Amino acid sequence: MPEALKSVLPSLSRVRLWVQIVMLFVTVWGASVVGHYSAEKISDALPALSCAYDMQNGSYCVLIPLQHQMHHRVGEALVKAQDVTLKILLPLAMTMLTFLAFFFVLGKAFCGWVCPLGTLQEIIQRVGRRFGLPLHRISGDKLGRVRPVKWLVVLALVLVFPLLTGLGVTPHEFGNPYCDVCPSRIATTLLSGNTNEFALNMESAWGFAIGALGNTLFGFVAVGALAIRQPFCRICPMLALNAAFRHLSLARLVKKPHDKCEKCGICAKACPMDITEIHTEHGRKAYHDDCTLCGRCAEFCPDDDVIQVKLGPFALFRSSRDYYKKRMAAEMPDGTVKPVRIVRKPTTGAQS
Amino acid sequence: MTLKVHVLLAGLLIVGGAQAQHQGHSPDVAQGESTAVRPKAAARATGAPWSSLPMLSASFGGGRGAAALRLSGIDADKVTVFAPGGASERLVVDYAATDGRASIQASAPMMGNYHWAQAREQRDGVVRVASTVWYFSNPGDAPTALLDRRKGELEIVPQPLPREHAQYRESEKCRFLVRWQGQPLAGQALTLETEHGSRAMAFTDDAGIAALVFPRDFGARKVEAGGHGGRERAGFVLSTAYNDGNQTYLTAFNHVYVPEAERSRSLTWGAAFGIVGMVIAAPLLRRKENDDA
Repeated sequence: MPEALKSVLPSLSRVRLWVQIVMLFVTVWGASVVGHYSAEKISDALPALSCAYDMQNGSYCVLIPLQHQMHHRVGEALVKAQDVTLKILLPLAMTMLTFLAFFFVLGKAFCGWVCPLGTLQEIIQRVGRRFGLPLHRISGDKLGRVRPVKWLVVLALVLVFPLLTGLGVTPHEFGNPYCDVCPSRIATTLLSGNTNEFALNMESAWGFAIGALGNTLFGFVAVGALAIRQPFCRICPMLALNAAFRHLSLARLVKKPHDKCEKCGICAKACPMDITEIHTEHGRKAYHDDCTLCGRCAEFCPDDDVIQVKLGPFALFRSSRDYYKKRMAAEMPDGTVKPVRIVRKPTTGAQS
Repeated sequence: MTLKVHVLLAGLLIVGGAQAQHQGHSPDVAQGESTAVRPKAAARATGAPWSSLPMLSASFGGGRGAAALRLSGIDADKVTVFAPGGASERLVVDYAATDGRASIQASAPMMGNYHWAQAREQRDGVVRVASTVWYFSNPGDAPTALLDRRKGELEIVPQPLPREHAQYRESEKCRFLVRWQGQPLAGQALTLETEHGSRAMAFTDDAGIAALVFPRDFGARKVEAGGHGGRERAGFVLSTAYNDGNQTYLTAFNHVYVPEAERSRSLTWGAAFGIVGMVIAAPLLRRKENDDA
């Protein structure tokens, strides 16, 4: 690799950061590149929280059509009970297929490499680490309580409430409740200079209440990300959707058993999602529901070839002792940045 | 000088159109005059169109993959629909207009997105064209090529159309291209008339583009509930006129616009709850002996 490229991309994390920055541009302001209309976007269903309320983005979030189809098509068509195949199954299948088409290629890597909200939380977390703020890991019983929430969110807010609204059971305000509480909607629209989504809907009590909950969540994530790594990712429905099919994706995490693993555990400390299974398990169990394929566990694994990030049969990155040493020289596994040392370059021929 | 002629021509055609309609439908004369004062209120009370300009407005009926349009200010026997894509034989389709109404369809069951609808009347040396767009909610080709395609002699072309989850809004500036024989028309007057009675005018620049700010003319109270989620909306119509020797052309483009978001949203309350969330998270920033959250 040329030296110039090495200095720009010295580690997997730096490569990922550049990918995240490019994707942040695409998902928040990308319309200037890919086109204005929704149909011109990178995808009708890019499985990232690329918000449809952001009028300058270059892609589209799968959760919007999913909620709308549950609301306007499945729910309303069940009431009418007609044209089932054409009006219900086909559009729903199209949404899921476009989502799955992306998923089968990169899968959970979308969470760790593409999602704009994930990128923003990481940037905030870096600020926290840089200023020496405390880092709170979620572990033990708390981790056990947090993990199922993402499944409840996808079930209740993405599927059930929109369906009940389409059936006429719940008010119209529950038509796309996930979008109404999604911090990415607020973050990405604010980044595009639009404050409408941050402002609360005053037209109905339900609209106000759901919006208030969403803004409170946004405020919590904005500050909480300074001290907790990826706070929203842990309950994100996109993480759940990706998790459901993660073993079918070409991109995946692979961990082999190794004698030293039991006493080490650096990989778990490096994991931004506090996944302890990457330390205690191997094989399929090590590639956990909550993994975002960021690759930090592989970067901070001190042994050769124990952890790999793979795309199909190809290893995109594999752990190595040499890489680990270089990585540790700049950053601790928990993300704490080592202070920059300023050393005067010795002048040629200087006398000591 | 040319500008003045165009403005005068547009004014005469609009007034003339109104008179022609009044003469043709005598019971509506008084109603039509009253719309000049409070167009929307009168139109709602009587069912009369709120403008004398040629328009294609949404009507009841339709459904997914189909739409019902009501013709007003124009005497046409068909509505021509231009599709954004699909089979070549379905790119341009004529639908019969009966009793001032026409039912149009998407070019294919799964071809959604914007379709362009247009009606034309040629009489007494005047060509009157009503045009609008209809968004069919299935996925479909982007309307970029559809807007580029020439669909008549004198055209008003949105630059661009609102995206799927966007709409024309009060107080927002929007750009429209005026084309004559497919070429940009510079120095052309473009008038805007809204369902609430506001009027504005702009002239096209060298690229044929006119920028108009939608007037802030929704009342403090809701004047109409309807459409998606009961959201308030009102119609607007843009028009322009051009004289080509012995033939005069009047083209209109109508659609709907919605109130500006600030009318129904509060940034103060939004910020307040955002701060509440930050305050809840603030204890996390205090250092603890045990770093487990």
